[in-house]
Parts: sequence; C-alpha cells; structure tokens
Amino acid sequence: MTTTEPAPGNPLDISARVPAGCPVIHLDASPPREVGSHWQKANELREISPTFFNTHAQGYWVFTRYDEVREMYQHPEIFSSEVIIPWDPEPAYRFVPTQIDPPEHSKYRQLISRWFAPNAVKRIAPQAHEIGRRLVADLAPKGSCDFVADFAMRMPTEIFLTILGVPHSDADLFVPWVEDFFAGFGGDLEQQETMVAALGGIKQYWVDVLEARRGETELRENDLVSHLVHSTVDDQPLGDDLILDILTVLVLAGLDTTRGQLGYLFRHLAENPDDRHRLIAEPGLIPSAVEESLRLYTIIFGDGRIVAQDTDFHGCPLRKGDMVYGLVSGANRDPRMYENPDDFIVDRVANNHLGFAGGPHRCLGAHLARMVMQVAVEEWLAVIPDFEVVTQTPLMERGGGAMLTLCTLPLSWEATA
Amino acid sequence: MKLSVDGALCRGHGRCYTLAEDLLEDDDEGFVTARGQIIDVPPDQEDDARNAAGSCPERAITLIEA
Repeated sequence: MTTTEPAPGNPLDISARVPAGCPVIHLDASPPREVGSHWQKANELREISPTFFNTHAQGYWVFTRYDEVREMYQHPEIFSSEVIIPWDPEPAYRFVPTQIDPPEHSKYRQLISRWFAPNAVKRIAPQAHEIGRRLVADLAPKGSCDFVADFAMRMPTEIFLTILGVPHSDADLFVPWVEDFFAGFGGDLEQQETMVAALGGIKQYWVDVLEARRGETELRENDLVSHLVHSTVDDQPLGDDLILDILTVLVLAGLDTTRGQLGYLFRHLAENPDDRHRLIAEPGLIPSAVEESLRLYTIIFGDGRIVAQDTDFHGCPLRKGDMVYGLVSGANRDPRMYENPDDFIVDRVANNHLGFAGGPHRCLGAHLARMVMQVAVEEWLAVIPDFEVVTQTPLMERGGGAMLTLCTLPLSWEATA
Repeated sequence: MKLSVDGALCRGHGRCYTLAEDLLEDDDEGFVTARGQIIDVPPDQEDDARNAAGSCPERAITLIEA
C-alpha cells in the first residue's frame, strides 16, 4: 500500500471537486501484506484526516473515523448499498438483500432474519459444539496444523450448513468452492476462471436442493430452502433466481468472513498466553474476548456505498453516483471512541464496534458468527490449552479488496494421544 | 435510572440483551423487546445497563440517571 500524489494530468472528473482540506491519496489495498499492515494503514490515515479522496480505480471518497463511518451506515438515503465495492461502480452481480435499499430491503431481509436470530442460533448450539469437538479431536493428536485451512474454514462451514438444514458433510464441497471464489474475488485476474467455476458449483448445489424442495406441499422444518420455497414477497412466491441469489450470498458472506475472524483470534490466543489462560480460568469472558477480537482485528478493511443524492459530508462535496469507502477497521481503533484502542482488552466494556457494520445492513449472520467463534474457543482450549505460532517467515494476510484473512496460521502444540 | 431504546435506530445487534440479560430480552427476530419503550433499571443492574448502552453500535440506547 502506498500513499502518493496522483499522477499529473489525472483525468478523474471527481478530482476537480476535492476541496483543499481533503488530502488526496492513491491507495490500493488489495495485494497481500504482512499481517497487521492494513490496520496500521487505517490507523495512519485516520490520524491524518477524517476524509480523503483516493485516486485508485475511478476515484472515491474515504472516511476514516468512527463517527463518520457510523453516519455512512445509518444514512442509506444518502449512502446506498446498490454498489458496495468502491472500485467496481457498475457491478455485474446483485446480492440480495445486501444490495437492496430501504424500504424494499426489509421485505427481503425479513425472509431470512429469523433464521439467523439468536433463538435460531441457540437451537443448533449443541450440534455446533459437537462439530467443534470432533474437529479438535481429529487435530489434537497431530501436534500441529494450518489453523486457517484445517479448522477455521471447516468449522463455520459445517455449522452454517447445519443451520440451513442440509448435511454438514457437504462442507467437503463448500470449503474448496469458497476458497476458489475468494482467490479470484480479491482482484487476481489469473484466478478469475477458478472463481467463476466455484460460483457455478455453489449455484448448482442450490439448484439441486431447490429442485428437490419445489414440488413438496409440506414445509420441511428447519430447512431454509423449503422455507424460502413456501415464502412470499408482496403476496408473490419467490422465483428460483431470487432464492438462488439469496442462498449464494449467504455462502459468500458467511464462511470466508468467519474463517478470517477465527484466524486472527487464534493467532492472538497463541501469542498471548495470559489472555488464553484467563479464558480457561474464566470461560464467562469468552463472549467478551470474541467481541474484542471483532473490534481490534476487524476483517472489513473498509465498506463501500454509492452516493444517492448530492450531499456535503464533513466538507466533501459528494455528488450522486460518487463512490465512498468507510474504513471500518480504522473506525474500530479510533482513539476518539476507545481507550487504549490498539490493545486487546479481554473484558472491555462499552465495546460498540462496527465489525458487523451498522444501519439496515447490519450483518445478518452476526449472531451465528459470534456463536461459532465462542464454541471454537471453548472446544479448542478444552483440549489444546497451550499452542504457539511456528513460522520462519512473517505471517501474511490477504488484501483488503475482499475481506482480510491470514493466508496461513501454522500452529504447534504438544500432541495428545 | 431509566433506559430507553430508540426503535428507529435499533438494528438488532443484540449487544444490549446479551450484556444486560436480567434487564432486557430479545424477540424472534433478534431485536430487543424494549424497542421504543422506557423501562426502569433496578439499582443492582445499573452497571449492566451502562455497558449495554455503551456497547450499542447504533447509539440507540439512552440512560436517564435518576
């Protein structure tokens, strides 16, 4: 990542509108970097200015501080979700309900919000524990693993499939699809074919499930696809395309993200035995430690929106159609909001992080993700209380073009019989 | 102390009823049931109420100190 002056004669039309008080940067956050680089960059930018203009791609505005990022999330009438990747202002895809604005948004959101509410998550907690326990038991005798590939991807995938009501063993299919999809999604052009093939695999899986549910008159209990088949929006049944869009976005939004958060949390626990031992002694603090990891190790480097109406926003003359990028990772470490913002405080109070976004698009899977992370910590520490990161080279993280995740996390511990 | 939840701002993050579990509860969609209401906070739950209010990412919770 570099912060430089724009090239002379830059033809960007928005540049002409950038006011004197708004610094101009050229920041491409997509290449992999050494772990922590993205948060460091977000910290640096936040302390220079609350707003920037970034000449990356077609050019977009950047907001760096907590209050401004929350304001972006809470005003969908100004900051529309119709486009959410700032360097791709005319996307070829449309995620539902991710890219639908209020008031239409709530119709689609309500179709699935109960499915991921705390009560629904509690229902599958026993199975989640079982899944976590089995995966840890498989790894424990080995004495080492790549946590990211061997555990962090597998566990959320199995639990996700369980809550949707399909076999958790189909994680064998989903894990490689999700890996392949995100290899290309970050912008690596060589991976585009693999990405398209993976998306095709995911879609075909749901086409087959949908076909099996379509002719059924009886609603299958605890089966999301069956529930969608029997649902209506504006008194109309949902078409296959809409159902497939919803299912695909759940897969893409839910699995890679939880993997990313788990990797950073377990790296922290590996490198901070005091925190680890405290959680073993006081398991009641695990939920609070999970929240703190979501704040400090935010995998959403930034979140994008498209401006829906001309607005003066903290001195930036935004025009309809401009793209904006709120640096969530920087907001969550804003010293204006948090004491000791760069420290991991296991029992932090008043932790109002935006790690699950805010406003109408607050992460639908937040309650599920929290439960998965809490169960992972509980089940892992019960069997492997002491472990460390073993690597000769610095850990790398995937760029913030999609969501941050450690590329690998080699962990080692005393093998148990 | 009294606590009020702004129903228009609440987005169902679930931080409040997790942190103040004896004071607040959730509905089937994951929203706090006290949305749009003002409730009394018993003296022994004031710390939980403060943590709940401070942990709301939407600033939807207001405390009225007696």
